[in-house]
Amino acid sequence: MVVLEDLRQIVGDRVTASPTELYCYSSDASLVGGMPDYVVLPKSTTEVAQILCLASEFEVSVTARGAGTGLAGGAVPVKGGIVLDMSGMNRIIEIDDDNLLVVVEPGIVLDKLNEALEPHGFFFPPDPGSSAMCTIGGLISNNGSGMRCVKYGTCRNYVLDLEVVLADGHIINTGSKMLKSSAGYDLTRLMIGAEGTLGVITEIVLKIIPLPETRKLVIASFETAETAGKAVIKTFSSGIIPSACEILDRTTIQVLKRCDPDLLIPDDDVVLFEVDGTMSSVDESAQRIVDVCATLASSIRIASGKSEMDEIWAARRLVGAAVSRLDPAKSRVYVGEDAGVPLKQIPNLIKRVQEISDEFDVPAMKYGHIGDGNLHVALFIDVMDKSQWKRLMHAADKIHRAAIDLGGTVSCEHGIGRAKAQYMDDQCGPALDTMRAIKAALDPKDILNPGKLGL
Amino acid sequence: MLVMKRLAEGSKANSDDLNCLNTCTTCGICTENCPSGVDPPQSIEDARRILVSSGTMTDTQSSLSERANFSGNVLGDSSSRIGWLRDQRGLPHKADLVYFVGCLASYRYPDIAAKTFDILRRFGAALLPDEKCCGSPLLRTGFDARELIDSNLTQIKDMGAKTLITGCAGCYTTLKNSYPDEFEVLSVPEFLAEHISELNLKPLELTVTYHDPCHLGRRHKIYDGPRKVIEAICDLKEMKANRNQSRCCGGGGGVRSGYRDLSLGMARKRLLDVPAGVDYIVTSCPLCIRNLNDAGGDGKVIDLVDLVSEAIQAIGK
Ligand SMILES: Cc1cc2nc3c(=O)[nH]c(=O)nc-3n(C[C@H](O)[C@H](O)[C@H](O)COP(=O)(O)OP(=O)(O)OC[C@H]3O[C@@H](n4cnc5c(N)ncnc54)[C@H](O)[C@@H]3O)c2cc1C
Ligand code: SF4
Repeated sequence: MVVLEDLRQIVGDRVTASPTELYCYSSDASLVGGMPDYVVLPKSTTEVAQILCLASEFEVSVTARGAGTGLAGGAVPVKGGIVLDMSGMNRIIEIDDDNLLVVVEPGIVLDKLNEALEPHGFFFPPDPGSSAMCTIGGLISNNGSGMRCVKYGTCRNYVLDLEVVLADGHIINTGSKMLKSSAGYDLTRLMIGAEGTLGVITEIVLKIIPLPETRKLVIASFETAETAGKAVIKTFSSGIIPSACEILDRTTIQVLKRCDPDLLIPDDDVVLFEVDGTMSSVDESAQRIVDVCATLASSIRIASGKSEMDEIWAARRLVGAAVSRLDPAKSRVYVGEDAGVPLKQIPNLIKRVQEISDEFDVPAMKYGHIGDGNLHVALFIDVMDKSQWKRLMHAADKIHRAAIDLGGTVSCEHGIGRAKAQYMDDQCGPALDTMRAIKAALDPKDILNPGKLGL
Repeated sequence: MLVMKRLAEGSKANSDDLNCLNTCTTCGICTENCPSGVDPPQSIEDARRILVSSGTMTDTQSSLSERANFSGNVLGDSSSRIGWLRDQRGLPHKADLVYFVGCLASYRYPDIAAKTFDILRRFGAALLPDEKCCGSPLLRTGFDARELIDSNLTQIKDMGAKTLITGCAGCYTTLKNSYPDEFEVLSVPEFLAEHISELNLKPLELTVTYHDPCHLGRRHKIYDGPRKVIEAICDLKEMKANRNQSRCCGGGGGVRSGYRDLSLGMARKRLLDVPAGVDYIVTSCPLCIRNLNDAGGDGKVIDLVDLVSEAIQAIGK
């Protein structure tokens, strides 16, 4: 209660300990759960710094939260304490297109940022399926990305500077407004993907880039995932880096068609190649993809125009959450959903996932960013049936292990949080000890998002 | 949804839970956008019903239920329900077509009720002899509306009515979903659109926008009818969010009566969607009219029937 009174001194009535409100902060989009003791909505860096001073003094845990769309339990306070709901710090401080940058607070929702940048002719490329809800702070803290990262890279490629409040309440800037810098350790990159375990991000300088003049979409279908993988590699070797390169297996296609029955998409495994740039370069690249893949694909065509392309992408963005359309008795559970392997291994991973799905009799929809080796597996079960849960968890575990076996990762973009913490030893080896040492140096009392990343 | 999960896990409902569940207008925009096909308003109404049946409710809820059951209307008004009808003689006892007026039009918008009946009468519409509240406010807030529904149903049967026409979006949903499937239910805009050629509408030099009431639009996909009628009369400029993406006026689901500030805040947000240069904001639900006007619409929010009767009168001029 002392803490509650002190928090009130800092933020007034923007703190709650109501059981109902606390409950709403006890989960994210994953299965991880944990009740906070207090939820605070800070409005400024100063408030965040004061809160962290207080938390440090009383050794109370602090977990930052953006929109809670994370799929690994990152924003869930598994050890209780304070949840800092950053969604109220959502201003765009400055759009400086002459210097190719924008300064924002961490709580801004990604789509809102891109809406504001569009009139200036710019955009921030990482485009997760959750762009309508997720915050920039959460996205950066997970090093999230999306379909366009095959060409544009992940968050790491766009963050120039972070204002961070450290565990003891001190405020630092990790970089500057420079597009490049070689001044010391790259603390910016250290904070990106740290999932709120090293500091709380309160202001962000992002590099932005000009919107491409136009885009084109090539829709190709393949008899097997293996041939699809070959076609993608052949495309890259022909000198084309598509702005998106997505694979959708047959099950995914069925769900996609339930979402939008008018979509003209073949029923096989499909790869969507998007190219962007100037009118002429896009025409040339799209045609080259058609030529390169012609011998491998069972069908291939260029989408008729912008509206068909927009419809296909809109359905693709929703597909991950839409699996219940196939069988209303079943729901997708987000486990084993973000594995990745080196490009050439993608067909192998797809094959292994199918075997695992058959072995445990848990249906799987497989789709993802084949262009960067990231496969999203949507396992779906009747959540009221306990035995299915057991099989589901075994299947997810095997998928993670398969990814590590194939030289890949258990998480390409959703982060580790609590949900995948048990794989960190196998995934990182002795590097995990280095991470622990960094954590201990920056947060000796272990108050920042404890219980995460296997630290 | 999380609050419902909390209660389902066995927590006892506290006032925060009730406030949370009761501040949903059940507008259904979440249902429209949910990729998984979840229908939160349905869950919210179920949760309210479960809580009410165990005696857990707010004071506003219990007084609403008492009022409606005692007086037969949601406003607790004891005066005549057809006070708006100047000449009450010779109302037919049997008719195929019945105008179901609704509480708000009967007591708060007598003008709209009179204009609507004027038009519908030409097509042979009658009134129920002792119309009661359709039950919508009770059903939306978790109560049983059996008594009201039974009373209306007996009258509908006695009249031999084959079609009920209503100008209230809430009544429409209720008559359609909570009454037996023994008669056709039409909304006033659908009826007007169907009979547009018989209405002899004269064009008016106006530009208006149309606000889709949630219970006509999203709930029943009635988007084209009202627009067809408007476009037969004057220019239509769409609101920023329209059709299935329209924002709620903030009045539904018991929110206006229980949480006036929130309700008006939502209405103010909706008014931001109104395009520049329109003379009126047309809609087809008295609750939307009331809430939007109260929130700053300042009388510019009118019923489709106001527009139609203006266009009909213009002929006589
Ligand atoms: C339907 C759906 C689709 C998705 N698609 C994708 C996708 O395509 N690509 C992808 O990468 N992800 C995707 N995700 C995962 C998720 O949306 C992203 O990880 C997202 O970036 C998380 O943002 P958030 O604001 O919800 O963060 P939260 O979930 O609230 O938090 C995520 C992590 O960031 C930390 N954090 C938040 N704010 C701060 C801050 N200011 N300072 C320090 N730490 C902070 C939290 O402590 C937590 O560890 C998807 C999720 C859903 C539900
Ligand atoms: S949109 Fe649907 S699936 Fe997504 S959180 Fe809401 S109810 Fe759940």
